[in-house]
Amino acid sequence: MMDRDEMDMLAAEYVLGTLDPAQRQSVAARRLAEPDLDALIADWEKRLSPLNSEYVAVPPSPNLFAHIRRKIEETGKRAGDGIDNIVQITMLKRKLAMWRAAAIGAGAIAASLVITVFASNSVYPPQQDRQFVAVFHRDDTQPAFVMSVDMDSQEVTIRPIDASTPVGKTYQLWIVTDQTGPQPKSLGLLENIASPTVKQLGQFDPAMLRNATFGISLEPEGGSPTGLPTGPAIHGRLISIEH
Amino acid sequence: MTTTRDLENLLRQSAEGDMDAFERLYHATSAKLFGIVLRILKNRAQSEDALQDIYVRVWQNAGDFEPGRSSIITWMATIARNRAIDIVRRRKPETDMDDREVEALVSSNNIFDEVALASDMRALDHCMGGLEEDRRKMIRLAYLEGWSRAELADLFAQPVGTIKTWLHRSLRQLKECLGS
Repeated sequence: MMDRDEMDMLAAEYVLGTLDPAQRQSVAARRLAEPDLDALIADWEKRLSPLNSEYVAVPPSPNLFAHIRRKIEETGKRAGDGIDNIVQITMLKRKLAMWRAAAIGAGAIAASLVITVFASNSVYPPQQDRQFVAVFHRDDTQPAFVMSVDMDSQEVTIRPIDASTPVGKTYQLWIVTDQTGPQPKSLGLLENIASPTVKQLGQFDPAMLRNATFGISLEPEGGSPTGLPTGPAIHGRLISIEH
Repeated sequence: MTTTRDLENLLRQSAEGDMDAFERLYHATSAKLFGIVLRILKNRAQSEDALQDIYVRVWQNAGDFEPGRSSIITWMATIARNRAIDIVRRRKPETDMDDREVEALVSSNNIFDEVALASDMRALDHCMGGLEEDRRKMIRLAYLEGWSRAELADLFAQPVGTIKTWLHRSLRQLKECLGS
């Protein structure tokens, strides 16, 4: 077990930039699940950030923003692209730590998820982007579900954190990919939200899956009568476990 | 002049999917971030690639910025520095930019037009001044230029383990001097 001073020096060197790639990656992953480490890193960022004033502004090529915009449009699906009732999932890191802190009441679930995240992270070399986690928030605050996506087995696992199903209602999982077009496609119901639900996504192209948008909506029992989400959606956010 | 508050508003609008706001944020901040990345990567083409990634990340993570936690410029600079250091750590040593160009970047001393940090800057300056000259140089090379322990070990003709010890000692001394 790392003592406080060791952890502080790890945070300091992470911010300073002197760790090797494997250590950097490990710290970047650990901070997601270790609020203490994350806070130490934030403290060091604050301490050393005055040095940023020594960086001289240098204008990049004038056309660079057009490339950035194209990249975002290719990879990022975000608010405003016309999918009602499904809130976009966005790449996100720091919130996992916050989520974990918020989910202390669901301690066992939180702990097992975090372990899963680490176990899977350590197996893969950097920049593989094979593991994703999405946190679905209700009202943008309370985490309701956590979903992990494993690109190798093409499986999603949805774990309830703080979700209850109103009488006569059921949760339904949706996906939007380039492969399936602009309309959300149902991945089925989350019938027993007391335990994790696993869904197979074998029919999707992995490359498409990587950029997919997921959503969870509250529907009448038996699922959406229209084949499209009709009820209020739960806010979801995707975290790449790459780093 | 774009104020910090303006930038925060642009970031918030970006988080809501407003590409025009994001473009304005880009124009207000890209030269600063590019300066960071270029100084660490010392290669214009690589730095422009990195800058694209960085702004895609800023867009994707825009909703995560917490004003109470850091200034927006520090937040964006951290994303840029982390990306640049990740890249430079993974690549084999090579020289790309000619020495004069590097020298020009190192010697000029102008800044982010950042306001609130003047007192923090003085404090860190003061504490850096309390380090032995070699140690101060080491911290600056690591932070500003993205040097690794091994590169520092070469420059100072010391084993890597000694460099690590020196770094830790210097960092602890800075922390103590800054009073937190």
